[in-house]
Amino acid sequence: MGLEYVRISPGFEKYMPKDYVDLVQYGQFGKEVDVQQLGQFKELVEEHPMCAGCFMAYFIRVFYAALPKPEDTIVIGTAGCARLALSQAAVPFIYGNYGDTNAVASGLKRALNIRFPNKEKDVVVMAGDGGLIDIGFGMTMHSWFRRENFTTIMVDNEVYGNTGGQESGMSPKGVQLKMAPKGKQFEKINAVELAKTAGCVYVAKISPTNPKRIAKTVRRAVLAAREFGPTFIHAYTSCNIEYSIPTEKVLEDARKREKQDFGFYEWMTDEVKEFFEQLERAPQEVKA
Amino acid sequence: MYYVAEVNEADCAKYNCKQCVLFCPEPNTLMYHDKNHVAWVNFPRCKGCAICVYVCSDLLKRNCIQMVMVKAGD
Ligand SMILES: Cc1ncc(C[n+]2csc(CCOP(=O)(O)OP(=O)(O)O)c2C)c(N)n1
Ligand code: SF4
Ligand code: SF4
Ligand code: SF4
Ligand SMILES: [Mg+2]
Repeated sequence: MGLEYVRISPGFEKYMPKDYVDLVQYGQFGKEVDVQQLGQFKELVEEHPMCAGCFMAYFIRVFYAALPKPEDTIVIGTAGCARLALSQAAVPFIYGNYGDTNAVASGLKRALNIRFPNKEKDVVVMAGDGGLIDIGFGMTMHSWFRRENFTTIMVDNEVYGNTGGQESGMSPKGVQLKMAPKGKQFEKINAVELAKTAGCVYVAKISPTNPKRIAKTVRRAVLAAREFGPTFIHAYTSCNIEYSIPTEKVLEDARKREKQDFGFYEWMTDEVKEFFEQLERAPQEVKA
Repeated sequence: MYYVAEVNEADCAKYNCKQCVLFCPEPNTLMYHDKNHVAWVNFPRCKGCAICVYVCSDLLKRNCIQMVMVKAGD
């Protein structure tokens, strides 16, 4: 990984697939792109088999555009829908066993620190509600207790989407799903408060209604994890299949949920706040 | 036969807008032409969800993008 690794050796351009050449020439390697430029550069993530209109796929699209240094990032995923797209991106991807993502990420981040002591290497886990808060609960919590320096993003579709509709701890109380016909018996787990209690230094909850805000949140979570400790994003990413949302109404649903129970929420420790105040103020000072 | 999105370029060019592009779930699919200021669809990659139509017609009331039927090979 690194910029040298993505560059095409001179003379080989004509043998490489066009999508790869485009990626190197018109992509985001080596430069930070503004998410508002989507549609005007070659994106890191390629065609993938996630369903039409899937807002988890949308969140993943914006996530890749927001990465501060994609050429120095490793993404860890697991069983569940997200990996169908994560595995199609030009960013190294590791498939952790279901439930094990945060243990794999802990070891990987520590190993990268030893192997590249003077370079920033970012590790991001992206997995589902089932993978992180049900079956991977222990690993998720312990990576936070141990204050591991990586970002965890839960793409919460409130169901086990990839296996056909079992309820998860993140499904809302009372909801009936294909394989939860009696209705969910207990409340949706408050993942954001758990993350704060367990030691995350930056925590956010978001519904994907505003690409600029998604990008800012992802970037902050990655940068804070580099410097200070574990960070967590809880993203509402609906499953239009299991929740029977007509695809053209998926954004409307995200906007509705934002008003209802997924209003944007961001929390960080005082030192992280100070860090961003300095970092995000800097460019204006240069201009003035 | 299946649906894909198609931009009415003459109408879209009036607005200097790229809102639909920012909400398509698919990467490298709903693109934006920098010089002409129009959105355009890379048809083979479009999955026909119509989220772009919701953005352009329902949210912005601009009606510049529609779903059209294509046949395999079109
Ligand atoms: C150890 C293990 N247990 C169970 C499974 C089966 N399995 C695959 S995906 C999945 C559920 C996925 O739900 P979630 O993590 O919420 O992701 P989603 O598909 O909803 O995005 C399960 C139970 C597995 N692959 N490995
Ligand atoms: S099953 Fe649901 S979450 Fe999975 S790709 Fe399809 S719409 Fe997205
Ligand atoms: S939302 Fe409508 S007007 Fe705006 S760029 Fe898309 S097609 Fe054009
Ligand atoms: S129909 Fe869906 S996939 Fe096709 S261009 Fe519109 S938003 Fe993108
Ligand atoms: Mg899920």
